[in-house]
This record gives sequence, structure tokens and C-alpha cells, in this order.
Amino acid sequence: MLFPTIDFAIFFLVVFVGNWLLRPYRIAWRWFILGASLFFYSYWSWRYALLLVASIVGNWFFGRVIHDALGPDGERTDRSRWLMRAAVVANLLVLGYFKYYEFFAESISARLDDIGIHVSMPTLRVLLPIGISFFTFQAISYVVDIGRAEWRRPMPLLDFAVYLSFFAHLVAGPIVRASEFAWQLDNRPDPRYVEASEAFMLIFRGLFKKVVISSYMATIVDPVFSFPGGHSSWEVLWAIYAYAIQIYADFSGYTDMAIGIALLLGIRFPQNFDAPYRSLSIQEFWRRWHMTLSRWLRDYLYIPLGGSRGTTLFTYRNLFLTMLIGGLWHGANWTFVIWGAIHGLVLVGERVVKQWWAERGAIGLPPQVVKALQWALTFHIVCFAWVFFRAQSFGEALDVFGRLFSSGGSSAAVTTVMIATILLMIASQFVPQRIPEGITVQFSKLAPVIQMAVLGVGIMVVNALGPEGIAPFIYFQF
Amino acid sequence: MPAGLVLVIVVVALLVATLLNADSTLKKSKAKGNGFRQEVAQGVANVSDLFRLNLPRRAIDSAMGRETGPTKGIDELLSEKQASEGTATNGSNSGSNNGSDGPTAPEETTPVLRAPTPDDPLTMWMGGDSVGGSFAVQLEPIAASTGLFDPILDYKVGTGLARPEYYNWPEHFAKDVIPKQDPDIIVAMFGANDDQNLEVDGKVLDKYTPEWFEEYRGRVGKLMDLMKSPENDRLIIWVGVPPPGPQSKIGHMDTINFIFWEEATKRPWVSYLDTWAFMGGPGPNYTYVRDMPTADGKVRNMYQADTLHLATTGAQYLSWATIRHVGEIIDLSASKIPDPPADQAPPSTIVERSELPRTADLN
Repeated sequence: MLFPTIDFAIFFLVVFVGNWLLRPYRIAWRWFILGASLFFYSYWSWRYALLLVASIVGNWFFGRVIHDALGPDGERTDRSRWLMRAAVVANLLVLGYFKYYEFFAESISARLDDIGIHVSMPTLRVLLPIGISFFTFQAISYVVDIGRAEWRRPMPLLDFAVYLSFFAHLVAGPIVRASEFAWQLDNRPDPRYVEASEAFMLIFRGLFKKVVISSYMATIVDPVFSFPGGHSSWEVLWAIYAYAIQIYADFSGYTDMAIGIALLLGIRFPQNFDAPYRSLSIQEFWRRWHMTLSRWLRDYLYIPLGGSRGTTLFTYRNLFLTMLIGGLWHGANWTFVIWGAIHGLVLVGERVVKQWWAERGAIGLPPQVVKALQWALTFHIVCFAWVFFRAQSFGEALDVFGRLFSSGGSSAAVTTVMIATILLMIASQFVPQRIPEGITVQFSKLAPVIQMAVLGVGIMVVNALGPEGIAPFIYFQF
Repeated sequence: MPAGLVLVIVVVALLVATLLNADSTLKKSKAKGNGFRQEVAQGVANVSDLFRLNLPRRAIDSAMGRETGPTKGIDELLSEKQASEGTATNGSNSGSNNGSDGPTAPEETTPVLRAPTPDDPLTMWMGGDSVGGSFAVQLEPIAASTGLFDPILDYKVGTGLARPEYYNWPEHFAKDVIPKQDPDIIVAMFGANDDQNLEVDGKVLDKYTPEWFEEYRGRVGKLMDLMKSPENDRLIIWVGVPPPGPQSKIGHMDTINFIFWEEATKRPWVSYLDTWAFMGGPGPNYTYVRDMPTADGKVRNMYQADTLHLATTGAQYLSWATIRHVGEIIDLSASKIPDPPADQAPPSTIVERSELPRTADLN
């Protein structure tokens, strides 16, 4: 079930009551949250829930045997290393089966066709379980942390099950580490002090971004990307900007709601977005965009590949490979690989340029001008890369770019409201954190009756400004 | 803040929002058909209306140009059309089950449309419900690429002919499409949201009962009559719903398509496109098949993950099938693309059925 629906509202009310009533009862509370989370996931398909349960049991088992294989002082042994690798491979095989088999099968078949070899690869016709990329990455982080002896105490099965299945982050993140979650299971928050104001603000902000902003951006993005040839270069340009806003509003909106929902239950998730479109470099962008994925890639891919512990070229290779694989994680299509490759190349390029500038000193432009240029360049690189992320194929992406330099076509979707919305969303990235924090504080000081009215009217306004029907979250497909 | 107070705030806020949004919630629940949800939504809407709590939302909807007031029924629209054209009131046989009645107007013939050229294209309206939309978003560029058509894309998610109170397609055609756009060709796909009970004057007609068939057939026939141009120079291509797959959770599209086909056969200005012949796997018992071979012999996925809406390849495939179907009625020899791309178009060996089988629902 999707967050901004009546079904979820009813579900959450039940979970909220059960959560706070049962919190003093350690085991009962855990079973209740586990049951609610499995119910939430089964709402899409009970078969998916079986897969999730299998992942829970399998990874918990791996965690135990890896821990048992560590040395007496918790040091890594050959056996523990091999078991850890087996755990990672098992997880990746499951992910690969559901997510990538058909992609690679069709790609291989197509390439063989090109050279005159006709091979019919068997198709599996499996449905992609929602959120599989997210909970698989969480499971991998758990077994690897144990294998690295960074996580000295494997979780009890029930705790691990709650961690992996917790409905708030199950289907689209944030990617929470076991170390960030486990202690919260034992730490009984005081029901007299629920962080409600912060949670309400997060949920409302997320609702507004998802239901209003993201959906509105889709009115220009969808037709332009479906049929670039029918749109003017002006409209295609604004559709590219609009997609940058759409994916940010959609994903960060969902994350805001997830964090707010967890907060109402006394669980705090890590931040996942920090105004990414104010970044002055791609490196900074990845410190602000999908932050939990960035650090996962850093800790479980970049560093194991060797990180920056080697020659410069070696570091560049690792950077590029990390972003390439990060791109592939997003979807079974070469366009995601290209998207990742662009970010990888630019990250490498930034290091090269940074080194080059450092050797040459200041270029004589005022710092504010330099920053503005850096921002403009970074923003446009990100938008340029998003085109591959959004397009169904490489050809489609090229069609979109091609229209930027063509004449003719409609510009009907580029209205004043559309331009203003895009510009305001970009401007919102530069709003100091103290302002939303101040709003939260002021909201918390309102009388409960006023809070009820504000929230009720706010939900009505969001519903009125949004489209009819709720589109799935973009990141659900990952 | 204490958890108990949080709960009260959340519940009251949701109640307030529910009352303020009652009209919208009722509209959406009606679009999904009868059931407990609709009853609850109706109750909430009644309360909201009693205390005028729906006024702020109506004001916002009105300011955004969304329809808020009562809409016209299809009978009224048809009467207005016929009055304006000065035609007889019984220009259609809608409301009859047996399919043997024909139009009682003077001898009707297949509409005569000029052969389009790139200098003088035909206007082609395309759309319908969301399945129609998934198909029409590819038909739009494909039709345009031939140089023979000026496409107009117009679809609305979650709509059909079963719930005019949610979205009134007949009124949209009568007030917007025909007077303002005056298309030469209408390519319409409805039906995927019509696998549900109907409501007539407060009475519920259970689906696939004789009363349901009479009412639904009437709506289909009357809409076809509404679409007809007075000069008989507009061609309607009524595209059957593609075979739905197991994830779609809908059924009886063969029955609904049969109604479309049967009503189309009574009206020379309407031509039914047999989607199942193109997309239903090897005949004669056409069923859902995810992958179909295109003209180049390669098998390609036609559907999105929900096994109902068409994927890009499926939509292109059906679009070229539509162009081919139109070409059997209108001279398209001036097309810039005389041979459709083999990696998109259906094989030329596919033949549409001249008669659809009567389904078990109708017997």
C-alpha cells in the first residue's frame, strides 16, 4: 500500500496504537511490528512476503555462522571471510535473478543476433518484488559488518526480522544499517515525548512534494519523454529541469514520509537528502543525494575495491566502477549504467580538474561568481545525466537531446506556473535549515485543536492540488 | 507530545481532511465501482454536504477549472445533438440486446473521407481510459510520422462508460471534442474499467445480468451515435481492449469487446479493431500472451508489469495495426512511411476476425 492513501492511514493508526501500547513488552512489541510489516508488504503480494521471510532467515543464519567463524578475539579468519563472501554472493544471486536475469538474457541475445547467431534465451517472466534492492542491500550490510568484525553481536532472529522488514523503510529506503537500528529496539522511547511536530512537518512536506510537486512535473515530463519530436526545444529543456525536480520531489518526499512515520513510532532514521541541488560539485551532490545509498556504496563497494589506497589511476578506477555499479543497481537497463558512468566520469574529472587548479592558483574571478558557475555546471550535469535515467532506451535519450537543437514543436506545457514551480523548488534548496526548524518549533507551540485544523486543511489542500489518483513512487521500481 | 494526544490529533486531522475532501473521495470510490468503500464515502459526503464542509474544496476545484456541478446524461446529450441536426429521435438501436435492429435513419453508408496528404492531413483524435492512453501515447507520434494525420491525444486514467458521474465521456465528446476539435477520425479505447456493476437512477444493475447488458449496450451505442458527424464524414475506430493478463485483476473483456463489436456492426461510421487477433496469441482461442512476434519475426514484450497497460513495444505494435486498419478504409498511399518498421509493426499475416464469438456471459 502506498503512503498517501486511506488504506495506509487506517493501517498506520492501528500500528501506532499497538506500537505504544506494546512497547513496554519487549517480545510482544517486536512480534507486533514484524506482523504489521509483513502485512504491509503482503498487501502487494503474499509471495513477496515469503521472499522477504526467506531473506530474513537466510541472512540471519549467515550472520550467525560468520560470527561463529571469527577468531577468539573477534578477528577475521579465512573461514569467516569465505562465509561472508558466500553470503554476499547469495544475496546478489537472488537480486540478480529477480532483477537482472531478463535484462542480461535479452542483451546477450540481441548482441548475438547482431552477429548472426540466433539464440533464444529462456525467459523467466518473474515479477520484480518491490523494494528488493533496498532490503538486499541492508542484508548485505549486516553480514559484511559482522564479517568485518565491526558488528560484534549478531542480532536475535526476531530483532533482525524487525530490522529487515520494518515497513517504514522496507520498500524504498532509507538504507538503514543494523548498527543504527538495533539499539533502538532495546531503547524504549518515552510515550510522553513523541517527536510529533517534527514528524508531522516531515510527513506533510513529503506529501506535498510527492502528491503536488512530483505529479505536476509529470504533466510536462511524461509527454516530452514519450514523444520528444512533438515538443519544442524550449519545452524539452524545461522538461529536463522538471524531471530533476520530479525525481527529487518523489524520492525525497517518500523518504520524508518514511522518516516522519518512523519518528511517530519512536524510531529515528538517518537523513537521506540534504538539499542536493545546491551542490557545487558532483562529489558534493553524492554527499547530499540518497545519502544512505552513497555511504553504502562507499563502505561496501568503493572501499572493498581498494578505495583511494593505491595509485591515482587505481582510485579513479574504483570511483568509476562504484558509480557504474551504483547505476546498475537502479534498474535493469543500459540507460542506468550510462547514468552511473556519467557520474563516475565526472567524479574522476573533478579530481583531475581540482588537482590542476590547485597547481595554478586562483583564476581571478570573484568567489561568488566561481561558486555560481560551479553550481550551474553541477546542476546541468546532474540534469543531463537524469535524461538517461528517465529514458526507456539510449535512443530515446538521444531523441530528447536532439530536440534541444531542433526547431518546431509545441511549447504549450511551459506555462508561467510550471517555470515558477521549478525555480521555486530549486530556490528551496538554498533555504537555511533554521527556517523549517523554526516552523516546526512554532507548530509545536500551537494548541492541539489548532494543530488538528492546520493538518486537516493542509491534507485537503494537498489532495486538491494533486492529481486524481496516486502514481507509484518512482523509486519503487528499484 | 504524549502518544495519546498525537493519536487524537492524527485521527481528528484525518477526519477533518476526509470531510473537507468528501466529494473527491466519493468520486474516486465511484470510479472503482460499488462496494463498502462507496457506501462509506457516500455517507461521509452526505455529512460533509449537510455542514457545508465541502465548500472550500469546491472553491479550489472551481478555481483550478475542475468540474464540480452536475453533468448531462447521454440521453439528453443525444437529444440535443439530434435536435441541432434536425434528425429523428430514434437514430440508433441502443437499448436492444438482440443485435438485429439497425439504424432507422435514412440509408447509412461508410463515411467518405478524403485521402490525406502531408499538405492536407486528417485530424485524428486518440485516447480513452488509461489503457487507451498507454496505446495512444505511441499512436500519436506514429500517426504524425506518416504525415497524414494531425493527432490529438486525450485520455483520462480510471475512466470508462460505467461511471459517468466520475468522468462523463459522452459530455466531453459532445461539448469539447466534437465542437472544438472536430476530428476526422476518432480512435477510442474504453472498457478496461467497465468490469463492474452499473447504477441507474439509484438502482444497482449487477454486472452481466440482462439489465446490465441492456444498459451498457445502450451507453456504447449512444456514444457511437454522439460521435457521428451530421455529414457522415467522420470515421470512428473503436479499438477493443487488449487481452488482460493475470496481474490485471480484470476480466470479461471478451464480453465487453463483443458488445463494442456488435454495436459497431450496426453503424457504418464505426469500425471495430479486433485487438485480440493482433495481441491474443495464436487463434482461434485468443488469450493473453505477454510476448508477440513483430513483423521481423522477433518476439517482444507487449505489456507493462500489470499485464494490462501496453508497454512501448505493445503500443507501437497496436498503433501500426491501427494505421493498417484505417488504411483498409481510407487511402493512405501518400504516407511518408509506406512500409511500417518491421521491429514495431505486427506481421502482415494477421487477419482480424469478421465476427467475434458470443461469450458465455451473453448466453
